[in-house]
Amino acid sequence: MSTYSQSSNFGKVFWPVLAWTVALIFFFPIFWLIFTSFKTDADAVKPDHLFIFQPTLENYINMTENYDYWRFAINSVITSTFATILALIVGVPAAYAMAFNPSRHTKDILVWMLSTKMLPAAAVLYPMTFLTKNFLDVYDTHFLVIMVLCLINLPIVIWMLFTYFKEIPREIIEAGKMDGVSTWGEIKDILIPLAWGGVASTALLCFIFCWNEAYWTVRLTTTEAATLSKLIEGNRAPEGLFFGRLSAVSAAAVGPIVVLGWFCQKQLVKGLTFGAVK
Amino acid sequence: MARQMKPGRFYKPMSKRTLPRLLQTPAVLLLLFWMLIPLGMTLYFSFIRYVLNSLRKPEWTTPSLSNWRGFGNYEYVLFNAKDFWLAVQNSLFIVSSVIVLTVVLGLAIAVLINRSFPGQGIVRVLLISPFFVMPAVNAVLWINMILDPVLGLNGLAVEGLNALVGGLKEFPVLGSFFSLWPEIEPISFRATQTSAYAVIIMVTWQWTPFAILIFMTSLQSEDQQQKEAAILDGAGPWSQFRNLTLPHLARPIAIVVMIQAIFHLSLYAEIEIVSRGNGNKNLPYLIGDFATNNIGAASATGIFAVILANIVAIFLLRMVGKSLMD
Repeated sequence: MSTYSQSSNFGKVFWPVLAWTVALIFFFPIFWLIFTSFKTDADAVKPDHLFIFQPTLENYINMTENYDYWRFAINSVITSTFATILALIVGVPAAYAMAFNPSRHTKDILVWMLSTKMLPAAAVLYPMTFLTKNFLDVYDTHFLVIMVLCLINLPIVIWMLFTYFKEIPREIIEAGKMDGVSTWGEIKDILIPLAWGGVASTALLCFIFCWNEAYWTVRLTTTEAATLSKLIEGNRAPEGLFFGRLSAVSAAAVGPIVVLGWFCQKQLVKGLTFGAVK
Repeated sequence: MARQMKPGRFYKPMSKRTLPRLLQTPAVLLLLFWMLIPLGMTLYFSFIRYVLNSLRKPEWTTPSLSNWRGFGNYEYVLFNAKDFWLAVQNSLFIVSSVIVLTVVLGLAIAVLINRSFPGQGIVRVLLISPFFVMPAVNAVLWINMILDPVLGLNGLAVEGLNALVGGLKEFPVLGSFFSLWPEIEPISFRATQTSAYAVIIMVTWQWTPFAILIFMTSLQSEDQQQKEAAILDGAGPWSQFRNLTLPHLARPIAIVVMIQAIFHLSLYAEIEIVSRGNGNKNLPYLIGDFATNNIGAASATGIFAVILANIVAIFLLRMVGKSLMD
């Protein structure tokens, strides 16, 4: 990593200032969202109250009292958590087998798995609604949301785990085999501890994608299993009305995940690279 | 004799072949069901006449083979529904614009912050944040509070600028110069064409952090000795970037392109929120449009979308697949 000591005096000031400027520009919309959430709906659209206004918690109080924020939030936590766990339970053994006992078809299977992510959700929405409502009777249940979230993220989860596992030297696993460790023991005692960082960042990314998913969660739920994306959907008033309220709901919906992202930033960087960086 | 063979025979395949297969089975089966059942139903619906409401032909409201239409739905979507080509064009336009913008911006910013300077950690946190924002919130936030020509910052900024110019016109000498300036109209991002730009802006904002993250990590593993040697040989910063950094980033760039293509081809929330009712659409949105009544046409469009996704996938995997597997 180079430092600015190499560059001229001008560069020493200019580049950090530019970096800060870019960062602030990128963060500005989020800042603005939080900022607006403390304005009343009326203040939010008045130009002369753009920066100077009487801050209020009214929107947040309104949101928890009248819009049942906590129920949506709890649903989001439940569905994202279980979907992530399920994706790992299914994904870890599969990725393990592909990484350590690859067959001729492993590559094709991986590519095919990723290709299922390219199926446009809209194309299968109608059949899915039809099936879940009329045949399986699971519409608007946590079970359905968890299954769907798990399935749409499974390809990414397997890919990520696969790239992590591939970096583990095979000899270690072989040595375990020599010592007569069972397959489950291999996974539990050798693989997971070695690939712990990779598994954690995979889980994290999966959780974030689950939390932010808005296509299926909005369309396959009504009330019981509705997540925060449904709450946003319901508060999306037509143009310009209720900016204050909308901002509060939005800020409360993205807040937890943004903060989680900040804390796990380093871990996430590893996970996102799909083994691209060695 | 057969008995003596058995343990060995049994043991070998179990450990070498069967078990790995068994471990993959749940994942493969789940994804297979997830793909085949809805896809099969979509395929079936695309070949029959199937509408949700019809007073004239109530028999079309239940899916049945007796309403067989052959390729009629496909013909209808291709030749009679005017929006199909617009939607395909728009899908590709949005995906490719976002990819180009995020890669260029991501590279520039990653290089910019890949040095130690005061507050580097905070800069990183600020830059990454947009990636965690829910797509629906992203769209609502941008289209209403920032890009709205009247109530958003876009409108307010233009209004302020006009007021400023108006004030300057009052000045004795300078006024005659400023009086030539026209009143600026804020750009409305709700019109058919401009709404695609709005979508590109918001998706780029959200996914540039993803590109930055990946490029940044990769830059840190760059060979510094090689770089120092290049500096000694008198290579300028641009030449260093072109000849050393860019080749080093080939694989991360491939990954950014591929992952984004996967996610943005099925872009929906942003399009729905920005473009509702103004005629602009991409392929998933067009499917949603049809699905309000004409399930047959929606399914046929869905099959076209699958075909398009596969074309893009084959193209991308040719490009990227090899470097991913090595």
